[in-house]
Amino acid sequence: MDLKQISMQIRRTILEMAHRAGSPHVGSSLSCVDILATLYFDTLRLDNWDERDIFILSKGHAASALYSTLALRGIVNEELLMGYHMNEGTLPAHLDRFAAKGVEVSAGSLGHGFNIGLGMAHGFKMKDSNRKVYAIIGDGESQEGSIWEGALFAPKLKLDNFTAIMDYNNLQGYGRATELCSFEPVADKWEAFGWYVIKADGHDHAELKAALDADSKGKPKMIIACTTKGKGVTFMEDKMEWHYFVVTDERRDRALEDLK
Amino acid sequence: MRNTFVDTIIDSCSERKDVFIISGDAGFGVFDDFQKSHPAQFINMGVAEQNMTSHAAGLALTDFKVFIYNIIPFVLYRNYEQVRNDICYQQLPVTLVGIGSGVTYAPGGMTHYSIEDIGIARTLPNLTVISPIDPVEARLAAEYALRSEGPVYVRLAKRGEPVMHARDTFDITVPQVIREGGHIAIVFHGTVSFDVMAAREQLLSEGIDVTLVSVPVVQPLNTEALFDILDGKKQVLCVEEHFENSGLGNIIAGHFAERRPSWSLRVMGIPYAFIHEVRTQSGMRGHYGICAEGIARAVKEL
Repeated sequence: MDLKQISMQIRRTILEMAHRAGSPHVGSSLSCVDILATLYFDTLRLDNWDERDIFILSKGHAASALYSTLALRGIVNEELLMGYHMNEGTLPAHLDRFAAKGVEVSAGSLGHGFNIGLGMAHGFKMKDSNRKVYAIIGDGESQEGSIWEGALFAPKLKLDNFTAIMDYNNLQGYGRATELCSFEPVADKWEAFGWYVIKADGHDHAELKAALDADSKGKPKMIIACTTKGKGVTFMEDKMEWHYFVVTDERRDRALEDLK
Repeated sequence: MRNTFVDTIIDSCSERKDVFIISGDAGFGVFDDFQKSHPAQFINMGVAEQNMTSHAAGLALTDFKVFIYNIIPFVLYRNYEQVRNDICYQQLPVTLVGIGSGVTYAPGGMTHYSIEDIGIARTLPNLTVISPIDPVEARLAAEYALRSEGPVYVRLAKRGEPVMHARDTFDITVPQVIREGGHIAIVFHGTVSFDVMAAREQLLSEGIDVTLVSVPVVQPLNTEALFDILDGKKQVLCVEEHFENSGLGNIIAGHFAERRPSWSLRVMGIPYAFIHEVRTQSGMRGHYGICAEGIARAVKEL
């Protein structure tokens, strides 16, 4: 399977999980699938588990995307997905690091995972380890003060082993980041804080790969990945309600038509 | 106490390269020498408590034993959710070293008092809470924290508190009888120790002998050991520089229904209200009765 097919498969799994569980945040999960696919099937070094690279889904409400990716990558058992968001189940709607292998950090409240990741990158640096840390943050999440506390501090530590990827779908819980606050110029802000900033199409695997591979010149890296909420399912794309709506039988059938 | 605690941690750093200390721009003079001798094991992360706390969790996930040093509002209040989600929920070996317990910083104003911290810590599963009474307990608290595989919160005042314990080694998780006495017991933790001792002296001169019990580990409370010590007593007075409604006294009262002890309990602390009055620490203690005279008076009223 190439990254396109992998992403398609992850999207289908997300749809099936949401349909089974009646769970929300489908649009948020579909938004970051291509980034996850590129990370888990290209960038991350996972073969030696004790020395693996770390991925943190700081926007923890997109947990179903991570679970689907971990299953396809063979890190968690497919069976585990059946208990997602279920009574007496296995996997909660937001991340609990004790729930499954590969869930590196418990996250769900925004503006935590990013900063934990910076701490881990700092720890690896101090141990002279070449392990790297990657974290996906949301654009809504980027309004948290803690994100900017971390942004202010990380360049001082020269954490060039840390990469944040902003899933910039410009559609958060109740509006657009660019409309509800002075979000733009967001890339300039990160640059001014001392980060190495690259913009990429968050659904273009080649662009993502190039951005992930780029030398950050001793700085922590911020990839501003422009994405579409609900990507891949026509009737969900760029629709705020898909932060909340659940996948009914009829909607699932229509969605799977798009994901063939 | 503060210096004893910090020195114990610092002393461990020559052998233990996994120990790492984070200051939130606090501790003037405390880490000056340490920064020079062990620059790789210390960082000042500035005035950014949320980041500092999550960062500590991240370091702990890469097998560092992390100590966060700040005044109590900035290790427990400002960053409550980071403590809850990143440290306690994830069960990580991070120790929160909080300075300025109770009204230590009076007349600093309410923003700088820590009179509800135990109440807050009680909402955090996995968090061990230690409130030492003297430098001996402070050292044992540091040794406990260094050994601990989970989160710890240590509630300290500042420096200069006298030694109360006759022994220098014991199990800090067990309540300790500091002085044997009669059928009235004073249970306490933290820096009210000096006033408790003074009250005992005063009472002795009046022919009243009280038992003094220190409870260094407030959470999880070793209720078995505490109720064993208090078994047969008639009256127990719990004294603390903390809100009466949510500190150790309240924790003990919570065990009454199932334990049905032989003794009655009175809790002395700070009433549940914001403090607007401008007073020094001793003025504050005098006002609330958590001073030698007040404690002695309370014992006689029991």
